[in-house]
Amino acid sequence: MIDQAVADPAPRREIVGSRIPKHDAADYVTGRVTYVNDVVLPGMTHVALVRSTLPHARIVSVSAVDAEARPGVLAVVTAADLAGVAGPVPQTSDPAGVGGQHVDIPVLAADRVVYVGQPIAAVVAETAADARAAAAAVAVEYEPLPFVLDIDEALAEGAPELLNEGAGNVLVSGGFSGGDLAAAERAADHVVEGEVRLHRAGAAPMETRGYVANWDDRTRRLTVHATVQNPHPFRHAMATALGIGEHQIRVIAPRMGGSFGHKTHGYPEEVLICALAKLLKRPVKWIEDRAEALLIGGREMRGRFRVLFTADARVLGLTAQIDSNLGAPAGAPGWPMTLMAALTLPHGYDIPNCAVTWRAVVTNKAPWNGTRGYGKEVATLLAERVMDLVAETTDVDPAEVRRRNWVRPEDFPFPTPSGTNLDSGNYHGLLDILEAHAGLPALRAEQRQARERGALLGIGIAFEVVPELVDLPGTLLSAQDTATVKVDPSGHVTVLTGVTSPGGGNDTAIAQIVAQELGVPISMISVVQGDTDLCPYGFGNVSSRSTVSGGGAAALAARDIAAKLRTIAAGMLHTEADRIDLEGGFARVSGDPDTCVPITEVAGAVYTLGFILAAGIEPSLEATRSYRPGNIRHTPDANGNIQPYSTYSNGLHLSVVEIDPETGVVTVLRHVMVHDCGTVINPTLVEGQVHGAVAMGLGCALGEEAAYTADGSPVGTGFKTYLLPRSTDIPEFEILHQETPTPFTLHGGKGAGETGVGGAIAAVAAAVNDALRPTNTSLTTMPITPETVLRAISAGAEIQGVRK
Amino acid sequence: MTTPQTFTMSVVLNGERRCAPVDRRMVLVEALREGFGVTGPKVGCMTGDCGACTVKVDGKVVKSCMELAQAADGSEITTIEGMGEDGRLSLVQQAFCDHYGFQCGYCLSGMLFAAEDLLDGDDDPTDDEIRYAIQGNLCRCTGYQNIVRAIRGAAEARRAETAS
Repeated sequence: MIDQAVADPAPRREIVGSRIPKHDAADYVTGRVTYVNDVVLPGMTHVALVRSTLPHARIVSVSAVDAEARPGVLAVVTAADLAGVAGPVPQTSDPAGVGGQHVDIPVLAADRVVYVGQPIAAVVAETAADARAAAAAVAVEYEPLPFVLDIDEALAEGAPELLNEGAGNVLVSGGFSGGDLAAAERAADHVVEGEVRLHRAGAAPMETRGYVANWDDRTRRLTVHATVQNPHPFRHAMATALGIGEHQIRVIAPRMGGSFGHKTHGYPEEVLICALAKLLKRPVKWIEDRAEALLIGGREMRGRFRVLFTADARVLGLTAQIDSNLGAPAGAPGWPMTLMAALTLPHGYDIPNCAVTWRAVVTNKAPWNGTRGYGKEVATLLAERVMDLVAETTDVDPAEVRRRNWVRPEDFPFPTPSGTNLDSGNYHGLLDILEAHAGLPALRAEQRQARERGALLGIGIAFEVVPELVDLPGTLLSAQDTATVKVDPSGHVTVLTGVTSPGGGNDTAIAQIVAQELGVPISMISVVQGDTDLCPYGFGNVSSRSTVSGGGAAALAARDIAAKLRTIAAGMLHTEADRIDLEGGFARVSGDPDTCVPITEVAGAVYTLGFILAAGIEPSLEATRSYRPGNIRHTPDANGNIQPYSTYSNGLHLSVVEIDPETGVVTVLRHVMVHDCGTVINPTLVEGQVHGAVAMGLGCALGEEAAYTADGSPVGTGFKTYLLPRSTDIPEFEILHQETPTPFTLHGGKGAGETGVGGAIAAVAAAVNDALRPTNTSLTTMPITPETVLRAISAGAEIQGVRK
Repeated sequence: MTTPQTFTMSVVLNGERRCAPVDRRMVLVEALREGFGVTGPKVGCMTGDCGACTVKVDGKVVKSCMELAQAADGSEITTIEGMGEDGRLSLVQQAFCDHYGFQCGYCLSGMLFAAEDLLDGDDDPTDDEIRYAIQGNLCRCTGYQNIVRAIRGAAEARRAETAS
């Protein structure tokens, strides 16, 4: 077998901050990495689901007679079979926790379905093909009920009720306000109102979900291999749903093929597959197909605003209403995207007078899960539209408008009217870097020339501020995490961490952090993630927290180990512990580097010469520590607001687009982003996150859309009907860094991973509108497609310089 | 209904002569994964859109979800597991490691085979040519940026090897 290691640069004190390639890259490029679908257990059975074909209906009957007679079929399971066995689906973040409605989410629908694709029955068979064939033979008789897909229709009087009787269709709502809007109104020279809309779009990782569950009747334990970002909270949910102890469940989350929110738990299939394994006493496997994966939605929100500002472009007040079309109620944490959108406002701008309200509304589309950006993208789209309208009205340059309204670098930490506390930032610095790099005046000159020859060239700027490291009280969505660092007698270091990596490589970053603390090469470090029997209790991968929280905990644990190594090494080298440096794989005497001993020997000495060298210390090289980042406040302030985020990453985007007036096709010519996530542990990993986030934003802005037909069926059932950006759709990005460390985390780092999505959407939208300026039209509803562009152009009052 | 029929599929798989019982209903990616236990080729869509299942059949790069297993009986197949030579990574594989040309790794079969195929015919492609060569493969993690960079790096490494 191929066993070639990737580059393993000599460890330096500066190992944190270095461009270290993914530490286990060779395993990936040779196909040796295990994903859930690669797990095969002896006697394994396969599941296919019977799903609703109607958006809202009463289930009259489910007939499994034909299906049960088919070859290889072991069982056809319906809601009745699960009564008393499993369910309902535990909610990752129950809206009742913030005053919303609690709705029980069934594992399998019993008497009513509320979306196309809702699971009704499960067929278990010897092979996946047998299961699929039999599922097609299950007959469901429905009595159709009136359904609603549109948010306004769902809010209207007499709409079909999808929640508890008489409760309307608002699952949960809220708001905040601060300052004095009436005074702002009196002081303002201008008032502008508007609306932005984001369409339904999903996370669509390349690997779909999957679960392989096995109940061992002798040990009374369930082992679940799961595509899940959060193995421990998932275990808690399964224990709750199945009525067994958490200790009776082992969750193994192997390598993941991307996630972006899609693999946060809260799905019916998770509970179902575990329950089937327990019922059948055989291993059960289910792998989501692409059409099923594309059912899961997100992002469909609109933001209405009213902005008050002065003639010199200073914004005095902002009123905003954020509404989301959530689809059906779910166990997965989709709805909080609405709350987060609201909390993100006023979006890094110093707007003292604000009132923001939000409503999460249910309809008969399939449910949401959290999707990268987590709602902040609609706040960005709204805030940046506001700034562009201010620029347009006052005739001040859009960049200058932002400069005048941003929170100033010297004003951090900055409390906002929503109760959040912006940890740190230098937004003005982002613009300085962007201007130096992109040469805005030259670009404007280019644009003038382009317009003269009739081309529709547009330049858009968008800022984004992205709250990260969420901690919601009363949930297992937590900012803290725990790590164990242990060194064996040969000196090999194993890090067990509660965070997981869906692909972004935080395990490499954590290995870097530990390598620096212990002074050993990265090749001496293994990072173990995603196994609840092995790893300390952790909260997994969510809210861009993994490197900050997982790395923080690993650093603290490694420091405990390093202290012991120094003590032992001091004994071996006849000096004091505080004179020992751990560096390059050696314990060296400070100022006398030739007096040294390999760290491997020091580790061995702890185990073998403890009574001589380790007499004064606890004779283990194993430490477990937790790390909780700062700046989070769960005690409500005077206005009743909490501060659920630790850090606020930010970025500034510049997009240059050209529109073909004949076809409506938008081509992104350039996309520049200046990114600030505080101290960077590994620039290569951070840039990778930014590339992916920006690409997702461009895809979202220019075409990715999970549309529905009028009869309530999803249009996007595969990658021919749900169009992800391809390599030829996007340009090479220009990514620049600014590092403004946060005072609230161990290394000064902030979350990285979500910043880029919202800013890219907003910058492309701004660029398109800038391009469309000669046509006197604008587009504020995403996605921007050739069709919507052509419609806008033809609706434009007059088209100057553009051939019809 | 008849019971599922299996046939004995014989292939040269990553240089080794192999036989396995395979369900006749299977497409090639299923046969490789479930019949032969070779899990490097991934299932991302089953409609030929994502490329995660890419393998080489008789020297030709194919999306193995688009081919019936029976049609590939008797062929010579290379998967991502068999790309390297003599226990070493290929230059393309090495470049993907060095340039962080992937994150989750799910798309690698498609990206690596598309890159090898491109560079076999053109040792100095432009960025546009690289983007065109991989456009049949979807990646959700990288925005394609480091994939293009990795292929550029692999081209350089191949030219250097040829020159030396």
